[in-house]
Order: sequence, then C-alpha cells, then structure tokens
Amino acid sequence: MAYKATKNPTTDLRERLYVPELLRGLAITTRHFLRNLFNPVDRNTQVVDRKGLNLVSTVSYPEEKSPYPPGYRGLHRLVPRDDGKPRCVACYMCATICPAQCIFIEAGEYETSDPAGESRVIEKFPTQFVIDELRCIVCGLCVDACPKDAIRMDTGLHTPSEYTRAGFVWDIPKLLQGPPVSHPSDPWNKRPGSATPQHQHREAHTRIGEGLVPLKLPSGEPHKRTEVTDQTIPVTRFLKE
Amino acid sequence: MKAFTVLVAIGVIIGSIFLVSAIAYGLGGWLEIEHTIPLLGWRVFGPGGSWLSNMVILLLVFVMIIATFLTLAERKWSAMMQDRIGPNRATINLPGLRGRPLGGVFHVATDAIKMLTKEDFRPKIADPLLFGLAPVLAFAPVLALFAIVPVGPVVTVVGQKVGLQVANPNFGMLWVFAIASLAVYGTSLAGWASNNKFALLGGVRASSQMVSYEVALGLGLVGVMMAFSSLRLPDIISGQAVHLWGTSEELPFVGKVGIPAWGLFLQPVGFLVFFAAAFAETKRTPFDVPEGESEIIGYFVEYSGMKFGLFMISEFAEVVILAAITTAIFLGGWNLGFGFDSTLTRWLTARDLGWLLGAIYSTIFWVKVLILCYIQLAIRWTFPRFRYDQIQTLGWKILLPMALTNIFVTGALILIDPSLRALAVLGFLVIGFVLALTLKRAEPAGHHPDEAHPAADAHGHAPAPLPGAAAASHH
Repeated sequence: MAYKATKNPTTDLRERLYVPELLRGLAITTRHFLRNLFNPVDRNTQVVDRKGLNLVSTVSYPEEKSPYPPGYRGLHRLVPRDDGKPRCVACYMCATICPAQCIFIEAGEYETSDPAGESRVIEKFPTQFVIDELRCIVCGLCVDACPKDAIRMDTGLHTPSEYTRAGFVWDIPKLLQGPPVSHPSDPWNKRPGSATPQHQHREAHTRIGEGLVPLKLPSGEPHKRTEVTDQTIPVTRFLKE
Repeated sequence: MKAFTVLVAIGVIIGSIFLVSAIAYGLGGWLEIEHTIPLLGWRVFGPGGSWLSNMVILLLVFVMIIATFLTLAERKWSAMMQDRIGPNRATINLPGLRGRPLGGVFHVATDAIKMLTKEDFRPKIADPLLFGLAPVLAFAPVLALFAIVPVGPVVTVVGQKVGLQVANPNFGMLWVFAIASLAVYGTSLAGWASNNKFALLGGVRASSQMVSYEVALGLGLVGVMMAFSSLRLPDIISGQAVHLWGTSEELPFVGKVGIPAWGLFLQPVGFLVFFAAAFAETKRTPFDVPEGESEIIGYFVEYSGMKFGLFMISEFAEVVILAAITTAIFLGGWNLGFGFDSTLTRWLTARDLGWLLGAIYSTIFWVKVLILCYIQLAIRWTFPRFRYDQIQTLGWKILLPMALTNIFVTGALILIDPSLRALAVLGFLVIGFVLALTLKRAEPAGHHPDEAHPAADAHGHAPAPLPGAAAASHH
C-alpha cells in the first residue's frame, strides 16, 4: 500500500480541464453512497473481515466492541492466596522498579509471639498497597519484578471511570481480586520435613489470550487468535479503491 | 431488506411531494375564484389570487422543509459517502418508535430545538442594530429568489388557470441576478457588525468572492436568454419542451419521442459557468473560504442560537433554490423531455384532470431538484477547498472568458440556424468531449512510474492482493 508520490506533477489534458476529474471524483463518491445506501451494514467487529457490498467500517462502540489483540493484559490486580490474603510479602520490588512511581507499599510484620503462626514462613505483609492508576503507565515491570507472583496484569479490564482523582487511587480492597493462585514453592505451603506437599498445585491464569477465560464477544463466538504470518497485514480493505 | 426500506423511503418522499403539489393546485384553484365573506360582504381573491397559496406552499413548505431536511441529509449522506454511519442517536421514546433512529430524522427536531433555545449571545462591542439585521439580510433575499421559479405548469383547476409560481414578471431572470447580489449585504454586515477582526476578514472574503462571481453568474445565462429569446422562466421551460430531433407524429403510449432542447444540451458551457458561479454564491465547499469551518474563522463567528441558524438555513435554502433555477433553465423544468409529455398532457386534459397533470409535473420538477441537491452535496464532500487566489483566478480568468466566448459562439450559431440545432450539435460535441475524457483510461504510458501494474489507480496504488479484493474488484 505504499503511496508513490510522482515527482512529475505534469498533468494531462483531462486533469487540466478539471471537469472530467471532477466527474470521476463524483462517480467515486456516488458509488460509495449507493453501495452504503442500498446494502445492509455487516456488524462484524473484526472490520477487516466484513463481507458484503456495504463499505461502512464503523464499530458502534458501546453496543459493539472490537476484540482486543491477544497481547492485551489490562488492569493489574493483587493476586490472592487460597485463604484470601494477598500473596504480596511487601518486598518493595515492584515499588522500586516502577518507572512511574505509582506504587506505594506500607509493610507490616507478622507477630512472632506464636511460633506456629504465619511468621514461621514469611516476615512481612502489606498493611497498605496502593496504586495510583492515573500515574500508572501500564508497562508491566512490576509483574516482572515480583518474586512472589503477587501482582499480575491479566484481568483484561480497563480502569473504570471515576468522578474524582482520589477514586483512581486503588488500595488493597479494590486491587485484590480474581482467582487465587498457589505454588508448591510458596513458603506458607511449606511443611516441616520432606513430606510431599498436601495441597494441589493450582495455576489460575485469567489471561484471555490463552483461552482459559473466554472473552465475551458480542456475537457470542469465542475469541480468535490471530495467526502470525509473514504477509503484510492489511490495514483495511477499503483503502484500495 | 434494506434496499426495500430505502425504496419505500424514496417512495414516501416522492408521494408526499405529489400530495403537497396536488394540494397546492387545489388551493390555488380555490383562491382564483372570487369569494364573498359571509356577513361582511367583502369580496376577496379572484383572478391571480393563487399567488398567496403559492407563496405559502412553495416558499414555506417546499423550500424550507427541503432545506431543513438537507441539514440532516448533509450529515447522513456525507457519512455514506465516507463509509460512516452518520447521525443515529436521536430517538423518540414512544411505543413503536423506541430505539429506532429512522435514518436520523429526529436529529432535525433536536437541531431546531437546540438552535431555538440556545442563548442568543451578542458581544458588548458589536453594533446592536446591524448585528441583528445581518442574519435577516442574509436570509430574506435567498427566500425571495424563489419567487420567480415556476414549479408546475399552468393548468385548469375548477375552471381557473392555476400555475405554481409566485410571480411571473417580464424581467424574470434579472430578478435572480438582482436579488442574489443583495445576499452579500448579509454576510459583509455580519462580519462588520460583529466587531471581531476574524469575522471582518471572513466578511471581506465572502463579499469579494460573491462580487467576483456575480459577473460570471449573469454572463453564464445570457446564452440561454438568447436561445429562448425570453427572460421569463415559464417561457424558457416551454421552449425546452420542444424536440430538436424527434418524431413528428404521436407514437402509441409514449407520444412524441425525441431529443428535447434542454439548456444543458444547448449550453453545456453556460451550464458549467452558471453552476460554478452559483455554487460560489452559496458559499459551500469548494468555495467555502468565507466560512472554512475547519481552519479559517468565518463571518459568523460571533453568532449563536437562531441567528446562526438563520445563516445556516439560508445556505441550505440557497442550495434548493440554485437546484430549482438550474432545473428550470438547464434541465427542462417540469418536462420529462424525451417522451410521454404529449400523451400525458392529452389524456389528463381530455379527462379534465388538470390538477393531476400539474401535480405530476410538479413532482417531476422537485425530483430533478432533489437530484441536483444531491449533486451539490456530493460536490461538497468530494472536493477540497480552493485557495483564495485560485477562487479569484477561476472567477476572473477562467469563468469570465469562458462565458464571454460562449455568448459570441452561441449568438453566431443562433444567427446561422434559428432552429437551435447547430447550437445543440456543438453542445453535444462539448458534452461528448468531456465524457470521452472522463471515461478515458487513466495515464498515458511513461507518465507514471507504475508501469509494472497497468491496473494501478491514479494514486499509484498497485492492485494489492487484499482479502477484500474480490469484493472490491468491481469498483
């Protein structure tokens, strides 16, 4: 689709007369008009795949939603444990790497008085874990940095709209959502001795691209992964007149 | 299914035009009869009284309603030309209408309510009298222009001769030139009275453009005046009903068939000059330097509410009136032209159905007007705006010499052959030349670097093997 601008703007008789070019332009406009007037709109949200003679390429957003690309991750969440507490151990890795400095953590220490308690395996937990969603640049570095798989960007959600700036400052009750995750290596799952762990290894990705959580499309059909080929990806078929 | 809906909508439009035309003829016939008001004993109306019904129905019903709906059509049609959907959000919450945009017709109502209820703001430093006068001066001449346009033929209704024309003065088309040149006062006053530098610049741009194109506007029509030796539009329309070449006897059903002496065939150059000049008078794209919604500030920046609405509606009314005048002068007015006219007239006159004949002809006239309105809107959405110097060059260096040459050539050909056939031959040659150039294959070889792709379009797009190429290939 490369546009080749000619270096020689010399025009022939037709272009100099202007009227023939005017009529050709009108013919193009009218052809589009008539095709769109008499043919129903294909509502396929994948605009490139639309069929039929109608050329309209609009997706009426609130009623119709285009599917997201498979790489889309969405709003972050604090991953809960099986018991509902956050997996976070307040290590400050995410807050340190965050280039936008939007993560604020306040650590609390577990009581050490009870030897059988939580402090047996972890020292700290977040008493406050706050993300300023207006500052967040959604780079995903916090997810990479987290040693405990405690923060993920797998919800596929947008940041919901709010009336005040304060509403965009999300704390633990708002961030802690989604299915719980547990790993065999989790310290709170460790048993004294070398016995096989009793708990089940459960990996609860909600990532839409892997099909574990089907994304709802308006038509009800499941989300389709785009095949990667070496062909040029057509932007839209309507560019070619 | 959608095609059927669209055809039904077109049918409803044509049907309502027919209905209103029939009402206009009936009312005109009733007003032509002298009435005596009971009790008071006043004698009112009588011969010529149909001007009242014509004024109300033609100006306020036809022109204003078509202009109002053109504001919607402008947006909806442009959406279709640009592969969009267009206005479809206004709906009425009534049973049966809930959630149905009906092609966006309710946007007309919402626009009107918005215009009427918005604050009518006037800048403190604006001239109060002129600021209020400018929209009136912009709107009134536009509406007055329509007075001389004949919409339907003169037929006999309830024993009276009735035609759909407000006034038929012998100066006919001169009225168009005179009144059209008054519209410039509205725009320049709007620019001046706003006391805003940008509005003033817009007003000056508007007045210079309109004054330049006055000349071409007038000269473009001189050829038609000479060909039909009249200034009255009804005379010009009946002159165009004559066949240049055709059967002399009536054929069954179709009647006399032939090529009519339409102004478009006799005066293609005059048509081009007039249409371009009149387009510049309406101040619409490609001649919208006075407004330039997107970049330049226009002469009505300071206007809000219904005063702004008057400027807008006068622009659309000008579109309708330009289409009506062009139909009357160049497209044979209410005549079908090529056939059926003689049979239609004979049958309906013999059965004393003058109102039906008039209503059918008036419908034909308005359908032609609507097609020309579509063409004007399509031109607006096809062409980029001319630069200011290009506007002046086009007006003075191209259209004016073209019009003058056209006058001399037309005069010579009318002198040589008063039957207008020589003129028509030249006209067909010009039309054929333009059409041949239009349909000619794109580039001569070697002009374009894209010789490897002979099917490449004018922008050098190679015919790429796109997924939608099969559907798009029959463009």
